Amino acid sequence: MRSFILLLGLLLVGGCGGEGESRAKTVPVKARPDAPFHFVDTAEAAGLRTITWCGRPEKPHLLESGGTGVALFDYDGDGDLDLYLVNGWRLEGSEVVERGRDVLYRNRGDGTFEDVTREAGLGLDAWGCGVAVGDIDGDGHPDLFVTNFGPDLLYRNNGDGTFSAVPDSPGIDGWSAPAVFFDADGDGDQDLFVGGYVEATLEEVLHAKPTLSWKDRDVMLGPFGLEGLANRYFENDGRGRFVEATDKAGLTDVGEYFSFAVAALDVDDDNDLDLYVANDSNPNYLYQNDGSGRFQEVGLWSGAAFDVNSAAQAGMGVVPGDFDNDGKIDLFVANFAQDSSTLYVNAGDCLFVDESQPRGLRDPTYGPLSWGGALADFDLDGDLDIFVANGHIYPQADDPPPTGTSFAQPNLVLANHDGHLQDVSRNAGPGLEVVRSSRGSAVGDIDGDGDLDLVIANVDTPTTLLRNDTQPRGAWLLVSAAGAHRVEVTAGGRRFVRPYVSGGSYVSASDPRFHFGLGEVERVERLAVRWADGSETELTDVAVDQLIEVNR
Amino acid sequence: MLPKNKGAVMKNKCLIMSVLICVAAGFAWSQETPKSMVETYDALADSILALKRVEEHFVRSMLDGHRHGAEAYMKAGDYRRAAAEIALFASEGDNAIGGVRKRLVEGGHHHHADGEAKGLYDPGFVVVTRKAKQQALAASAALLAAKTDDERNKAWQQFVAVADSLEK
Repeated sequence: MRSFILLLGLLLVGGCGGEGESRAKTVPVKARPDAPFHFVDTAEAAGLRTITWCGRPEKPHLLESGGTGVALFDYDGDGDLDLYLVNGWRLEGSEVVERGRDVLYRNRGDGTFEDVTREAGLGLDAWGCGVAVGDIDGDGHPDLFVTNFGPDLLYRNNGDGTFSAVPDSPGIDGWSAPAVFFDADGDGDQDLFVGGYVEATLEEVLHAKPTLSWKDRDVMLGPFGLEGLANRYFENDGRGRFVEATDKAGLTDVGEYFSFAVAALDVDDDNDLDLYVANDSNPNYLYQNDGSGRFQEVGLWSGAAFDVNSAAQAGMGVVPGDFDNDGKIDLFVANFAQDSSTLYVNAGDCLFVDESQPRGLRDPTYGPLSWGGALADFDLDGDLDIFVANGHIYPQADDPPPTGTSFAQPNLVLANHDGHLQDVSRNAGPGLEVVRSSRGSAVGDIDGDGDLDLVIANVDTPTTLLRNDTQPRGAWLLVSAAGAHRVEVTAGGRRFVRPYVSGGSYVSASDPRFHFGLGEVERVERLAVRWADGSETELTDVAVDQLIEVNR
Repeated sequence: MLPKNKGAVMKNKCLIMSVLICVAAGFAWSQETPKSMVETYDALADSILALKRVEEHFVRSMLDGHRHGAEAYMKAGDYRRAAAEIALFASEGDNAIGGVRKRLVEGGHHHHADGEAKGLYDPGFVVVTRKAKQQALAASAALLAAKTDDERNKAWQQFVAVADSLEK
């Protein structure tokens, strides 16, 4: 793998036309031709055996429902994706019986992982929730920010395989859930936004009793009846030190809504990064950036705060991507059970239209309680399919008499057929038959074969690693372009746009590189990378089936 | 760390205890509620109902403000801001007001409890019905998407019809 990266280094391109080297493809056993997708859970064989805890089995407090997130990132710069798994605590009665430790797994490059937590100086035993990845000091090594029930923690990547906890870490001392690094003010460094969920104390968690009645059984209270915890924003001073600037930036959480997911993205294509926050049981926020790092909340009039019925939903996760291949970034928002997930199609000028029903999203997503997800071209046919991680918050759903739902729920894969979604989960391989109560998920090419795999954090059970063994329907291209705002590819006469996205899913971080499924093409006619300052790097006649690195 | 509302909860508990002691004292010397208590409660009811009316007046003033704001922006040709004002009208205020509404609902105050149960109002909404909210948001979106003056006027009239229908 290292030799491959060295080879790749020789292919660095910047401004001039060129083509990269094809990347060796390891081809696993592929799916039946009649099966559209084929995923295999290889977690155990790969060595991912950590159980991610979240309170007691009966979950009397809302904190015990949130589960944890996961990050896919290359911490050691060896070219493959490593994995950071956030862990919570295990409770029995009103006692803490195990403080689950976060785990860093190094990808060995052969389909297996090794636990390098201790060597890396990690292994936090706080009650963890989520994770964000960003290069806070511009040294080229991705750093980590972990949200906790309690103080959050920032880890600086030392560049030698180890991390150091940053003293006086920015964050929220409470139940923070999502976080995202992004260059809000266009000054070239990574700022930080942290989402707060609800006010709670450990005492309250330990002594909580189910007080809400749901389908004739007692379940946990919340989020209504609990106090919201305000979001916070921190500006990077350029040296990796953070100063709170929430109000100054216009990101004051005026409603103190229950924020569960956040993504930074350029919704209006004006080359700055806006912010979308999915709120549980409240309108979602869309903060439009004026280019200087000052934001205005436009969710209420942009159409992205409510569903088609003008109702606030219970947002749990958000995934941006160009679903309809029109070059504009759309939003997939995962919602609570007995309510559809929502597909907000970008109509331009910061206007979104809920097209969940006509696109076929409503029916498959109405029943389950959805969290993390991905908009990814799993079969490389040139359009973005949808993955959704599901799991109920009430374990009492499994108590007799039947409720029509369950705590553990099947995850979903929805195939994109010309902009219309088809639920193909039941014909998507044994990996989709693994049924747990899933929460955070991240997507990336974990095994380096050119297609996109998934890793999913589950409540009180081990992680799921879905290796994508789908028969490819086309070529692929993976573009590594740190600092890019948007990558556009023209191949076979079709245009594909992948905007830069940071954060998203549910409290998780996916591979930040730009992945393209291209359909049946032999070459890429044009590859254009747009940078943060609006300038572009253009390449022509680029080979497919390769990882190509483009530097400014 | 105590939750912020713990103090308020304690105050409420003290108040309820005082009232219960008074009621118990009243029952100690007769089989009917003392007239003074009935009168006090009657006066209290006046205040409660008056507060509800004040709440409605307040929300109507806020809606008037957003309507006039929208009108002014329409006249100035700033359609984006006009659409934003219409959306704020539809949502009975911005997210800060939404936060206040959330607090009221969580505290058990529903201006239209019956209407909410029937699906006619969103939780905590005072004037704007669910249907009117939907129509006003549609008008806001139509105004944003409009390319011609005709389309803008149509969207505006759509909003005016909704706003007029909510006037008493």
